Amino acid sequence: MEIKAFMKEVSSVKGVTKVGLVRNNVVKCNLDKEGSKDFFVKLKDDFGFEHCSLITAIDNQPQFELVYHFSAINGSVFVKDSSAAVMAEIHIFLDRDTPTVESISDLWFGANWHEREAFDLMGIYFIGHPDLRRVLLPEGFAGHPLRKDYVYEIHEEEW
Amino acid sequence: MAEMWISMGPQHPMTHGLWTLKVKVDGETIVDADPELGYLHRSVEKMGERRKYFMNTTLTDRLCYASSTTWTHCYALSVEELMEVEVPQRAQYIRTIMLELQRLASHLMWAGAYMPDLGHITGALYFWRDRELFLNLLEAPSGSRLLYNYIRIGGVKRDLPDGFEQKTERILKLFEQRLDEYADLFENSKIFRMRTEDVGKFTAAQAQNLGITGPNLRGCGTKFDLREHDTYEIYDEIDWDIQTREAGPGYSDCFSRYMVRIDEMRESIKIIRECFKKMPAGPTMASKIPVRATGEAFRRTEDSRGEALMYVVGDGSDRPYRWKIKSPMFTTISACPHYLKGYKVADIPAIMGSIDICIGETDK
Amino acid sequence: MSLFSFCKAMAEWTADYMLIPVFNFQAGLFPPFSNPAGDIADWLETDGGLNTLAWLFAVNIAFAIGMTNLIIVIHLERKIAARIQDRRGPMLSLRSFRELGEDLAGNSPSWRFKQNYAGIGILQNMADGIKAITKELIIPAKADKFLFTMGPIIFISSSVFLLVLFPLSDRFAASSAPAGLMVIMAAFSIAPIGVLTSGWASNNKYSMIGGMRSAAQLMSYEIPLLLSMAGVFLLAGSFDPVTIVEQQQQSTWFFGLPMWNFIPQFIGFIVFMICILAEVERVPFDLPEAEAELVEGWTTEYSGIRYMLFLAAEYIRGFAGAAVCTILFLGGWAGPWPVPPEVWFLLKVYLILIFWIFIRWTVPRIRTDQILELGWKKLLPLSLINILIVIFMVEIYPYLSDTLTLLPEVF
Repeated sequence: MEIKAFMKEVSSVKGVTKVGLVRNNVVKCNLDKEGSKDFFVKLKDDFGFEHCSLITAIDNQPQFELVYHFSAINGSVFVKDSSAAVMAEIHIFLDRDTPTVESISDLWFGANWHEREAFDLMGIYFIGHPDLRRVLLPEGFAGHPLRKDYVYEIHEEEW
Repeated sequence: MAEMWISMGPQHPMTHGLWTLKVKVDGETIVDADPELGYLHRSVEKMGERRKYFMNTTLTDRLCYASSTTWTHCYALSVEELMEVEVPQRAQYIRTIMLELQRLASHLMWAGAYMPDLGHITGALYFWRDRELFLNLLEAPSGSRLLYNYIRIGGVKRDLPDGFEQKTERILKLFEQRLDEYADLFENSKIFRMRTEDVGKFTAAQAQNLGITGPNLRGCGTKFDLREHDTYEIYDEIDWDIQTREAGPGYSDCFSRYMVRIDEMRESIKIIRECFKKMPAGPTMASKIPVRATGEAFRRTEDSRGEALMYVVGDGSDRPYRWKIKSPMFTTISACPHYLKGYKVADIPAIMGSIDICIGETDK
Repeated sequence: MSLFSFCKAMAEWTADYMLIPVFNFQAGLFPPFSNPAGDIADWLETDGGLNTLAWLFAVNIAFAIGMTNLIIVIHLERKIAARIQDRRGPMLSLRSFRELGEDLAGNSPSWRFKQNYAGIGILQNMADGIKAITKELIIPAKADKFLFTMGPIIFISSSVFLLVLFPLSDRFAASSAPAGLMVIMAAFSIAPIGVLTSGWASNNKYSMIGGMRSAAQLMSYEIPLLLSMAGVFLLAGSFDPVTIVEQQQQSTWFFGLPMWNFIPQFIGFIVFMICILAEVERVPFDLPEAEAELVEGWTTEYSGIRYMLFLAAEYIRGFAGAAVCTILFLGGWAGPWPVPPEVWFLLKVYLILIFWIFIRWTVPRIRTDQILELGWKKLLPLSLINILIVIFMVEIYPYLSDTLTLLPEVF
């Protein structure tokens, strides 16, 4: 599938807005939180993005932003006359009060620890994640340090 | 024997860094595994938010102690993308040379660390002896042997010193001879193959889903290398091939992953020679580098261990608002229960060694 | 003059001039009923007492020679390993003491680096020994303390016992048991008990897996080892090292060259070499202490002099294994005249040891299942084939050749 056709198909999906190109091989779009799982299933099964590169959580004050990067390794989506592998950059905005989103770790196992990291450092809750524990910080750490309103406190206990 | 959990790490010869691998064994067969990270977490991302853009190159150097230039380069690329800086042609060539030298040094570090995992200490000393040669080369322009801080936003710190090309050529020639020598000691050795073949298998489809990239993915026969598929610097101008190996149709084992890295070293030698041939004269630093940036940008590069991705968000100040590092090893370690199950305890170092772990980048 | 007659003469001299006068003097000093000194003096005059004293001397001489060899073997291992790995290895020598003295006196070294570290490094063994002795002996809190101390005793004593069991030549032997080689192999097979004991008593999972591996390995390799030795015993008709070496000398080959056992029993020789390598737990068969996955295997929890003695015991076992190999297959102490037989014997032993050192530093370690598969599926059948060949050689071939020479006369 050519990248232009891919963009057209993506923009027709419900909940997707602002489809555009970042570079010649990177498609960027915004996605509503509701029904995001359906889109991800479609992205994996229909468009062939087998690899979840990264999940970034950004504290945009007040809302949170999740940025997903997927790449098509096997070239199911391609750029004409170029060897570049296509990436999809998907933004989901979350409310500060309910930082929850559906987990995609059952679709891409590679997303498993990215979600754990986002939970660990930013406090995003991924619904349906099999093992949502802290990954980099120790169990029992208070707060989520990458949030902009995080205040560092000296912890008495040792890890 | 009943099933029991064995905790390997954080200080254990197998781990190559500080992490814990808990394995559940039934006798000597692995039933389950649970990796744990965080012993080396330095909160690089949080630190980066308080430092100016150009200061962060010191942090990115310290991400991976075996392959520091590639990480600084990834950061520099994404910030250049954010600030829309045009890097001079000569700087791009020098960067490519440094990246490939770093890849050689990193792969040699890996090979040297992998051999004691298999009980072959001589191999470690041989490979580390050769790594010294490339550290000497990396030292010549940058001035240090481990953390170079040579690639900067907008170019490189300074031009290559005089006679660098001749010195590099001499060392590359010596190293090529030695690689041929080592073939008899390692890949043609019956016991080495007994230990590495048909161990730690995963298929290409599995690897893509598990988030395994880089040489480990190319060991499955997948032709995917970001140097070509998301090209940067001057990799599209020079003539080189993606090295792949496979143990069988579409799957990899420890031996194919070993061989991919050996092949990549030969390919890196080729790339360095090509670069020297085509290198133009000119400045090595962009003339104008902005201090502030707005917007968001990311670039991904082919690190020595796989796909490195840095996502930088600027809010108009001189510091990054959010800076996210994707480490290839983070996901590869997370997937380790998938490729450890069913093998023996003695295979754990052989498998975990073959995927080339660097905890510095993983724990950030 | 054999070692024993030399020791007998020494024992007579010491008994006559030193021990009996001393004991008699003591017997005169103290009350007679509670004092055994007079009885000991009487016993020393008898044949039994003199023989015991002579054996004591002989065993001590053999022990001292074995321990000296141990130091040389460790030093050789280090130096050869270093040369294989493109480095120099230990360089500490007597000259280095000067720098040590200056360092202790608070002065900066007056000699240059090169002069201080230009020796062959034999003192490194001393340094290691001092270090090991001064380290604390740690017993883990949850370990089984009795077995934790018994394990090293079983392993090390059974290994040191090996030193006195093999003869250096027909005249230089501390032990002259007729079943000498069987006793050596019996002493070899005590070790798994010590290994299993110390592995279990450490209360450490690595140690336990290491101990289990070690026991499995040693037990499964004992069988092909003994079967490959059986061929030699059949050929010589004896378990006695002296008889075995004599038999190898007497059977000749082309040009009257002695046919040592590794020529007719080449399969047995190969099987024996592999099995004894596994028996003494050297690379590529050192998986009980595989440091990559099991830290140090069954020796993980041991420290100080215990750990050092474990290492020393392993080298002693290696030395004994090479000695057994020399006696069985390489003609023992036989060699051309001007060089004494003891030197020939040691030369052959060191040849095997150097070969093992080369193997150790050039191959990786193999896996548990692979080692067991090799032992049971490959080496056991091969050793049986070797026995069949020997039986053919010893029993059937002479009969057949007799028949063949008789055939023309019959017809």
